[in-house]
Amino acid sequence: MSEGKLTRRTLIAGAGVTALAAPVLAQQAGRLIDLGLPGGPSLRPLEPVFPGKGEMIVHRVRPPVLETPMSAFREGVITPNDRMFVRWNWPFPTEIKANEHRVAVGGAVKRAASLTLDEVAAAGEHVSVVAVNQCAGNGRGLSQPRVTGGQWGNGAMGCAKWTGVRVRDVLAKAGGTAPWAKRVRFAGLDVPLTDGAPQFIKSLPMDMAMRDDVLVAWAMNDEPLPILHGFPLRIVVPGWFSTYWVKMLATIEVIDDEEDPSHYMADTYRFPAAPVQPGDKGFPTVPITTMPPRSFITSHADGDTVALGKPLVLEGIAFGGDAALDRVDLVGMGWEIPCTLAPDDLGPYAFRRWWVELPQVAGDFEQVGVRARNVNGAVQPETFVWNPSGYARNVIERITLRAQ
Amino acid sequence: MRALAILPALALLAACDSAPGVSFADASITLPDDPVDLPEGPGREEVLANCTACHSPSTMLQQPKVPREKWEGIAKKMIETYKAPVDETTIPRIVDYMVFVQEQGEAAQ
Repeated sequence: MSEGKLTRRTLIAGAGVTALAAPVLAQQAGRLIDLGLPGGPSLRPLEPVFPGKGEMIVHRVRPPVLETPMSAFREGVITPNDRMFVRWNWPFPTEIKANEHRVAVGGAVKRAASLTLDEVAAAGEHVSVVAVNQCAGNGRGLSQPRVTGGQWGNGAMGCAKWTGVRVRDVLAKAGGTAPWAKRVRFAGLDVPLTDGAPQFIKSLPMDMAMRDDVLVAWAMNDEPLPILHGFPLRIVVPGWFSTYWVKMLATIEVIDDEEDPSHYMADTYRFPAAPVQPGDKGFPTVPITTMPPRSFITSHADGDTVALGKPLVLEGIAFGGDAALDRVDLVGMGWEIPCTLAPDDLGPYAFRRWWVELPQVAGDFEQVGVRARNVNGAVQPETFVWNPSGYARNVIERITLRAQ
Repeated sequence: MRALAILPALALLAACDSAPGVSFADASITLPDDPVDLPEGPGREEVLANCTACHSPSTMLQQPKVPREKWEGIAKKMIETYKAPVDETTIPRIVDYMVFVQEQGEAAQ
């Protein structure tokens, strides 16, 4: 890989091919979307179009970071593969030969193994789970005060059917784990351009890794994983943020550390252990893990007009995070109305539709939103819980509707 | 398929029912180039030479406005944590550019 790494010389050589600069907005004038990010910049291009993707918000071209426009969530509770958000930390191979790919299983296992894709697929029962895949930083761009990092709106999420084998069955192909095993680490083919930079490695505690529904998946909505989503294999951890859903899986390593010292576990993707204020330093943090409940109005967008004196149906999607959804309420300023939930036939980790019919629109709806609660009692907060990395946003999202 | 033989009969049936088998084909993708170039400004050459290998111009231009000290911290993090081969003497020029384009962006709004 060393010839692929960057040196100062290649960095400078790369600069030579850059064309003369033109005004930025003029370059992007084609198709833009306004994400409503407080203080801006808020306009994002819907171009370039990526292979296998429909209309997506382009946050970064290389390596790709693509957000799903909220309008896509009107279409249904399963997010099609061509609309699922895309997020890579490091560059990845753009061509993969199926029969050459191997998954190394090592560390605190009985006998290290190097598995072909067919061997992974034969490791156990084939299992499907429908689950929300959501970036830990989803909604970061809406933070106030703003924080640096990927400036997502709320579209760094999607819900798909994932099919594969259980991680525990793949570990069994290496003879099982040692009694002192504490965590299972995952790494993919995405690697840094620079020597010595940390690889994107994530790990799950043993009890999570052994769970019935934690998978090494090869299919997304009954199709092979697209390269942008981690072909040929990715980890699926229902209820946990997608930072753990390692793509292009190439290495499984069982370790005996209670706390994983690797960069993406120890130094980043961490959340304050107790609430903090902007400017606070040196506070204790914990790794970001489980998702809290969230809900969104999808039938209307902020600023839409509704018919005065007429009935109004509001609809949207909700999910319970790491536990099944319990209820969704429409909340205004000082009032709330329970919403109807669609049957939970896709399981506890999927998007679920909600709707509510209001008999008559009597005036504007100022700051109306929805509030989800899961069966563990976790409920979306009224006020935004700020944190310096903008993780795990789940404040009630409110819009204003004008009656006329 | 040997691993399946140890499963109870019921689970085996469920597995056969839901698992018609899977075959893996090769995959490839051609990724598009970034259509955006960095606007002119003081320090643009240093940013092109040190930053654009990993950061698309579009991403750099989409960041929220933060103070000069924050950009200095980010540049240092790129060197120390992510081992970016950046000449430290260029940091003030890189920071000049980020502050400049953010002020330009704000003026344009």
